[in-house]
Amino acid sequence: MKKAFFCDITFTIFMMIAATAISFCFFQFGNKNVANITVIYTLALILTALRTSGYLYGIVTALFCVFAVNYFFSYPYFKFNFSLDGYPLTFIGMLTIALITSTATTSLKQQRRAIADREKALAEADREKLRANLLRAVSHDLRTPLTSIIGSSSSYLEHYPELSDAERTELLSNIKDDSQWLLNMVENLLTVTRINNDSTDKVKKSPEVVEEVVSEAIQRLKKRLSDIRIRVDMPDDFLMLSMDPTLIEQVLINLLENAFIHSGSTDPIDLFIRSKEDRITFCVRDHGKGIKESQLPYIFEGQQGRSENADSHKGIGIGLSICKTIIQAHGGQITASNHADGAEFTFTLPKEKENSVNA
Amino acid sequence: MPKFTVLIIEDEKNIQTFMGKVLKKHEYRVLCADTGAQGLEIIRSQCPDIILLDLGLPDMDGGEIIREVRTWTSTPIIVISARTAEHEKVSSLDLGADDYITKPFGTSELLARIRASLRHSNRLLTDSSLYIRPYRHGDMILDFSKRLLTIGNTVVHLTPIEYKIVAYLAQNSGKVITYASILSNVWGPYADDDNKILRVNMANIRRKIEEDPAQPKYIFTEVGVGYRMVEDEEE
Repeated sequence: MKKAFFCDITFTIFMMIAATAISFCFFQFGNKNVANITVIYTLALILTALRTSGYLYGIVTALFCVFAVNYFFSYPYFKFNFSLDGYPLTFIGMLTIALITSTATTSLKQQRRAIADREKALAEADREKLRANLLRAVSHDLRTPLTSIIGSSSSYLEHYPELSDAERTELLSNIKDDSQWLLNMVENLLTVTRINNDSTDKVKKSPEVVEEVVSEAIQRLKKRLSDIRIRVDMPDDFLMLSMDPTLIEQVLINLLENAFIHSGSTDPIDLFIRSKEDRITFCVRDHGKGIKESQLPYIFEGQQGRSENADSHKGIGIGLSICKTIIQAHGGQITASNHADGAEFTFTLPKEKENSVNA
Repeated sequence: MPKFTVLIIEDEKNIQTFMGKVLKKHEYRVLCADTGAQGLEIIRSQCPDIILLDLGLPDMDGGEIIREVRTWTSTPIIVISARTAEHEKVSSLDLGADDYITKPFGTSELLARIRASLRHSNRLLTDSSLYIRPYRHGDMILDFSKRLLTIGNTVVHLTPIEYKIVAYLAQNSGKVITYASILSNVWGPYADDDNKILRVNMANIRRKIEEDPAQPKYIFTEVGVGYRMVEDEEE
């Protein structure tokens, strides 16, 4: 605030001095036309009013201009003479210019601030919406596997003697599957806590080798889904990219897992990685039944993403909305589309300048 | 064969029970401690062969225990940690832990880590020139005495630095090795902290030894921590 105040004062004084100096030059080199000098002062006045905030500076400058023209450049020189012809008109004219310009500038500034505020509020609302969607989807999705775990384990404990070996194994493997799914969900949620929405640096980035992140994602996924097959197609170059590796790994895992579970196909999943000048593109393509056109626009928004014919609780909603949150926090983009035979998810991550990256 | 003694330092009773049951089934003698202080006492009095240490103990920091134990014994320590805390893993490895395992883990993973750590601790004791046999996994054979790496029947040409990296990982196969540890072992104690040079070398090694660098068979990345070479097959 104080700094702006000093800036304004300095600018105003500078303009007054500059206008006076230029006028003197004109005057000295023989051009004694008062009209020209008035134009110079008017210009200085408009510039001052435009640049400064509030009316005060404009009015002060207007007063100064009128007096300066009167004192320096109209006969008698270096004396005030208030009885000149049209003097009140000049004075009022100058004052009006100052007021109009100041008003215009002020309202322009106010509008600009209002727009910025509105944008901020919108972004905030967007974030809130994403968070609310996530919470809703989570609480719904967590309850289903928990019900199954509690049910299976209590029936195991209560009916142990009556159950056959096969039934016992079935109950236990149900419990294991559901806990595995829960763990996956919790890991997804944990990754979200790594994103810091309040600071400008939303994620902690470090330079990572792309193939290492990809390979760890695939390795972790294979531990869980041993029959998943993935074809990776990436450039032979050594690619380094600034990112939070844990988060990007989670995105890759979610996308590949979705492709495996929801495509309804056992063909290998393709993962293409392409390096462009300013970004790296990752594309996960399956060869299954694709995504319903009606779902495409909402697929990243949480609950709507649930596919109706998939297992009731193994919705894809949360995973994808987390992917979107992560990619956006990295300053990248994620899109979903259908291709000739299946679905395709593409995300891009921006490359950073080499020298701004530190290990 | 005398039973190996495993000490589990873990405050969560359920996990303690689960690990204890599994290990007893696999012919280990199991000791348990709920707190760090109790754990240290057992280490001093019973001298276990291997220590499983949970980092989140109620009474003291896991790092403290590692530091304390490492002042007088090289008993292998496997740290049990949560997934999201890479810096915790790195710092405990650099303090002297041998390996880590991430919660939640399966029984087979736990047993594999214990075997790998026990083997290396034994090898440390007998790691004279007599006990250097080739590293072998799948098609890969690394002959330390000839400094020769072959995959199938083809010899892979590595630069001296690349060979040093692979050899160091192979000698510690099955365990995770931190970037800092590789840097100081290969480039010497005054190596730069920047691990980019290591990553570039590793990318080149992968292009030479892996069919698909994005789905490696031999050297795995533990993002944010280091590298792990797949366990030596011979026993």
